[in-house]
Amino acid sequence: MTDYEKYAAQVALVKEECKDADENDVAEEFRRYEEEFLIEPNDAVRSVILKFMKASGQEVKSISSTPTRVEKKVDRFADLGSEDKNVTIEVAVVTYVPRIQMVRGEEKQIAFGWIEDNPWESNDKRERWDFKDWGSHSENLAPNSVVRLEGVSVNEWNDKRSININRGSRVTILREGGPAVPALSDEPVTIEKASEKEGYVNLLARIISLKPDVIVKKDGSGTLDIFRGTFADSSGKISFLSWVPIDHEVGDLVKVEGAMIRKFRETPEVNINDRAKLEKFHDNNFASTEELSQATTSKIGELRNGMKDIITTVQVESWQSRTFTNSDGEEKIVRSGDVMDPTGRCRLTAWCEIDPKPGDFLHLSGARVQFWQGSPDLVVDNSDQVSNLTDAPWEAIDPEQHWVELELSDLVTSGSRRGIKTRGTIVAIRSDSGIIHRCPECRRILRESTCVDHGVQQGVEDLRLKFVIDNGVHNAPIILAKEPSEKLLSMSQEMVKEKISKSSHEDFLAEIRNNYLARKVMINGRSLVDVQGAMILAEEVTFDTTSNEDAANLVMQEWGVLL
Amino acid sequence: MINQTRVGRQSAIRIFAHEYSDANLPLEGVGEYAPSFIITKLGAKVNRALFGGVIDRFERRDGDNGPSYSGQLRDATGGTHRFQIAPFQPELHADAEELLARFESGDRFLMMMVGRARWFESDDGGLFTSFRAEEFCIVEREVYVNWLVETSEATLRRLSAYSASLGSDNNSEALASAGVPSDLIEGMILAKDHYGDFDPESYRVGVLQGLSMALNSNGTIESIMAPPEQISQPEGELDISPSIEAENGSNGSKLEPQGNVDDVILSAVRNSSNIDGMPYDSIVLACIEAGFSRELSEDAIEDLRDIKCQIIEPRFGFFQILD
Repeated sequence: MTDYEKYAAQVALVKEECKDADENDVAEEFRRYEEEFLIEPNDAVRSVILKFMKASGQEVKSISSTPTRVEKKVDRFADLGSEDKNVTIEVAVVTYVPRIQMVRGEEKQIAFGWIEDNPWESNDKRERWDFKDWGSHSENLAPNSVVRLEGVSVNEWNDKRSININRGSRVTILREGGPAVPALSDEPVTIEKASEKEGYVNLLARIISLKPDVIVKKDGSGTLDIFRGTFADSSGKISFLSWVPIDHEVGDLVKVEGAMIRKFRETPEVNINDRAKLEKFHDNNFASTEELSQATTSKIGELRNGMKDIITTVQVESWQSRTFTNSDGEEKIVRSGDVMDPTGRCRLTAWCEIDPKPGDFLHLSGARVQFWQGSPDLVVDNSDQVSNLTDAPWEAIDPEQHWVELELSDLVTSGSRRGIKTRGTIVAIRSDSGIIHRCPECRRILRESTCVDHGVQQGVEDLRLKFVIDNGVHNAPIILAKEPSEKLLSMSQEMVKEKISKSSHEDFLAEIRNNYLARKVMINGRSLVDVQGAMILAEEVTFDTTSNEDAANLVMQEWGVLL
Repeated sequence: MINQTRVGRQSAIRIFAHEYSDANLPLEGVGEYAPSFIITKLGAKVNRALFGGVIDRFERRDGDNGPSYSGQLRDATGGTHRFQIAPFQPELHADAEELLARFESGDRFLMMMVGRARWFESDDGGLFTSFRAEEFCIVEREVYVNWLVETSEATLRRLSAYSASLGSDNNSEALASAGVPSDLIEGMILAKDHYGDFDPESYRVGVLQGLSMALNSNGTIESIMAPPEQISQPEGELDISPSIEAENGSNGSKLEPQGNVDDVILSAVRNSSNIDGMPYDSIVLACIEAGFSRELSEDAIEDLRDIKCQIIEPRFGFFQILD
């Protein structure tokens, strides 16, 4: 390969600036830079351009005046170069994790995290970069806030760019976020407190489970021995993952220093690496292992994505098994069914041989939660995790009638749940309520007869209604599929279609609005809660039949009003 | 969720007209999608509201960009919820036309509406609150009464939060430990910094009225269903209204009315330096300062405009003398 071919890309760049330069001379120059000055061709471009500009007597001012102290104001990270300094940009703060780092022999509190550009647009139009805060701006960089950064600089390391927020940088809050991340402290916190944040913590907790595990490295280069387990104190429990061997036993009370809380899916988890310290601790007043295991039994209503080592008891509603062929061509059986407890219902999947009958009570230990279609479901991998109880822990629940009533506010501020009942007032009728067309391949809704994945399609008609319910403090969108929509409207899909074709979609919406807007309804269904907020998939919607008189009496009783 | 990265939909605050029209503290959102709010004296942070009442006024204006509509719903507190439908809301125009036809035929009816808070600041610093309609419908009485009960409860909740806040420092930790619900804390801090002392009892009147209507279902509702007659009442009748004010306790004004309310309005409008005319709120303020109740003043303004034809409203919310 000639020098010219080898450096063609860089030569082209130089030629853009110095049209008269000879290509072979330029290539030779790049070779020199690489071989003699040990400068990579990409890094040498600037110097080579300068050289040839000078040689041809061109004005070199534009290049030599590299942006040093001039303020650079940009809207997007994409507009930033790797050497930009004194940058002004508005960003959304996603995370802020303080840590202690040795800087030139001194312990300094710094912080790192994620920021996103384009903060006033939806998340899918943003770019996310790492940042480091060297200037203790924690007060002004609370997660979920939107801030203007001034005087920050771009840092490039291993082809990855990030933002350095320096001591002299200015951070202005444009929109308040959550509470500011507190500075590090040496005091241990309760598990409940620790679960609320991400970052470094100190804990005082008892080990209530511990087992060695193996992680297969992503690059296929081998395996890593790790330890998994659970810490508990009187405020709760939390799983941990240790990258270093643990010399303690189940039942030991330990003081954990410098561990890191990370979210695995929706569940916080303690990460222990070689920087963290675990010491045995003595305190006779600390809750015993027995007391703690008692308190750490979970209920279905409390399940969250990513939870592990769950101890719980459920009542089986239905049970099926299914045979499938896995990617290795092996035939496997997976068993699953619907299960309930007094706080709700979910699915249970078993990768082992258990065959309970409807109505059986199962006690599960070491179960884990897997998200399936937005709701947390229980999974057991081994039949010794399951015991069939002979004594019923509660009076058998009738699955037909089992809807756990929750305040709308509690529903939208907790995790996804099945089998719930809630109330609210309809405050919006979405204009995409009515007859819709779905893709015959993937059931996605067609826009102008086109599916995002499958192109132009002859759509399959379906009926749905979309409302927003609200209780004055919280609100959530609700979606009714065909069956609950037909039931609420007392009209079949065909009738709705005929109605719309005789008048118009707007008339149909006006009728829905006249009949349902500002009305209080009761909803049976399931809730999906994620970072975007909550959504309710309604299985049945009925008018709230509480009389105004009863409601008024209740209000007077609660607030002590006399007329 | 704790990690919510988007500003979610604002909930619809249940609020009586009296509390909303008394408010004069706007909180403007910074950034394109940041919501703005009206903070009431009881600390409600209103961006979106669910409100109802009998339709009291409704009219169309044709502008360069298309028609716009404005109207009023009068609720159990006797106050009015002002609302607008903008030219850029064509999806509401068909329903608005239907409403207009019914209204102009002389029909009056109960409506429920979901609206977004808007405000207008007059040159002299007065602040006018109103709503931009989002969705609305005509409802049967049952639905309206249900809203009265809900709004009574929401108002009682704010009243109780307000009284809990009285002995507390004005910061979030202190208010939370005094028992102010978390959704009211931010508004309460702003309200207490901005508004002076006031008697919250006047807000209890709407609550009592709402609750008593729910209890005796065929009772007092007709009294708010009949505002058109009030407008045509002779002047002599209007003069006794300060006693109604005492009964309602509205505005807590202890002043004796000075002179005739019409004279106050006419002289206020005549002396206005504003070229567009005197803003509605400033006229009402002048009347209140002269000792008249808000309701009486509002009725008298309408009377002067619609019956006596001594003032005109060339632009919505601005009044001039008709010479």
